[in-house]
Amino acid sequence: MLEKVIEVDHLRQTYDGRNFVVDDVSFYVSKGEIYGLLGKNGAGKTTTIRTMTTILPVHYGKVRILGMDVSENAERIRKRIGVVLQNESFDFASVERNLKVYGMLWDVPREVLKARIEEVLEVFDLSSLRKVRAMVLSGGQKKRLQVAREFLHDMDLLFLDEPTVGLDPIMRRSVLNYIRDKARKGLTVLYTTQIMEEADYLCDRIAIMNKGKIVAEGTSSDLKAKYGDLKTIHVIISGELDYNSLKVKFPEDVIVDNDEIRIVSKNVEDILPDLIIYLKARGIRIERISVEESSLDDVFLKVVS
Amino acid sequence: MIPPSLRLTARNLIINTDPGTLLFLIGLPSFYLIVLGLMFQALIPNVFFEGHSISYAQFLSPGVVAMQPFIAGSIGGSMLWSDRRWGMFEQLLVGPFHRIDYLLGIIYVSMIFSVGGAMLMFLVSYLLTGFVIHYVVNIILIILVLLVSSILFTSLFLVLSVFIRTIQTYNTVTMFIFFILDFASSAFYPINTRTPIGLRIISYANPLTYIVDSVRDMMFASLNRSDLIYVMIVVVLSALFFIFAALSYRKAKI
Repeated sequence: MLEKVIEVDHLRQTYDGRNFVVDDVSFYVSKGEIYGLLGKNGAGKTTTIRTMTTILPVHYGKVRILGMDVSENAERIRKRIGVVLQNESFDFASVERNLKVYGMLWDVPREVLKARIEEVLEVFDLSSLRKVRAMVLSGGQKKRLQVAREFLHDMDLLFLDEPTVGLDPIMRRSVLNYIRDKARKGLTVLYTTQIMEEADYLCDRIAIMNKGKIVAEGTSSDLKAKYGDLKTIHVIISGELDYNSLKVKFPEDVIVDNDEIRIVSKNVEDILPDLIIYLKARGIRIERISVEESSLDDVFLKVVS
Repeated sequence: MIPPSLRLTARNLIINTDPGTLLFLIGLPSFYLIVLGLMFQALIPNVFFEGHSISYAQFLSPGVVAMQPFIAGSIGGSMLWSDRRWGMFEQLLVGPFHRIDYLLGIIYVSMIFSVGGAMLMFLVSYLLTGFVIHYVVNIILIILVLLVSSILFTSLFLVLSVFIRTIQTYNTVTMFIFFILDFASSAFYPINTRTPIGLRIISYANPLTYIVDSVRDMMFASLNRSDLIYVMIVVVLSALFFIFAALSYRKAKI
């Protein structure tokens, strides 16, 4: 049986004593696993992470990290974890100095640190920015620095709270591959994101949080299979559309985004002819139409709606 | 392995030692000593102190030395504020440290700034007035007083830093406290029976007065029993402020 690196048992967290932002959440993460925690803004992901990383005390339930209770072993746990927080954080110095100082804070031996700094500068495409002050970097560059410095020190578990916000697609893929490579070598990763394709690409297992609760959990394939009889109709239209009457006519999951209609349903074969008739009757021109198998995006929409 | 609080101290020194910080630490007291010392010397040619007749600039020297923990403390408080502003406070809280290490990291830097600044003030004082301290033991005693005072003032400014949300307010409050503590103390003038009673009470409610008086006596080698009491007052206040700072810091919002 695989060693459990994270064990969260009936966790409940509240800021005001009445409303629970994390409400009876339980899950585990095994060694070397990449576990994705997905959810809308305010779903409770960051509060869960802040509890696991010892910033917040446990209000109700139990949280064990690396076999230790977070309420009793906070300092010992912090020595063995890495954390990339959602909010930006950096010292008022150049990129290179930020990395040197961060490595020094973790007591990384000088020679090892030197080599690792060169490695992360290369991997995170920061070499040309090494002398630039962190505060003048773009949002994406700051995020790269934030993620890069976490790989300077040894750790058993890495928490990544939306680490790819602001990164371009090439850099994002490069960062994801680097994380995946580290996980293959034994690093356990807890990863939160709002980008479903990222979770699909990276995570071994996924939990979807909504209103403080885990509403679905499993591998990406499990989730697609569970909600997998869903298909998505994409219709590109031209013309004025009354969203409310469309919603009444098709009470499935309808999303209108500019000139695109998306309907997620199990009964695509029944809905599609009706939809075409409905649009034609209102003089709305159909520019393009397609039906796709459900993606993790669709699963997410279905689960949290 | 280097203790965590020392690693944080090194980090604070590397990150927070910029020309602006050093100018504030050294420039302002030097300005007081050079400009006020020489300007008022024309008005107050000599001050009678503990049986000696000394120049006003010499009288002022202990005042600017004793100001160093105060200035260093305000820099320490701004470090916490700055770390919160740039997200490093939360990041360091999830790092390999105990929470108190962070606080100690700031206090140690303030101590270094305080003693380093005081040594420079001694140098400026020597160049300006030719005054030297003859007894090594007194220099050691002055350093000890400065170290303890650094805990007091850094703790005070850390408390302010926890509760003040904007840097503008922090700077305004710092300057306000700076002027009150500086001018309602014995740094610039002796507090004696000729001082109005109200101002005398305010001056003796001001910890800077005890620090200046004890440093002045140590500089002029005229230590007496009241200096021991003054030092004890500073030690007790430092301990109280440190406890208060540690309790406030636990409530610090990220």
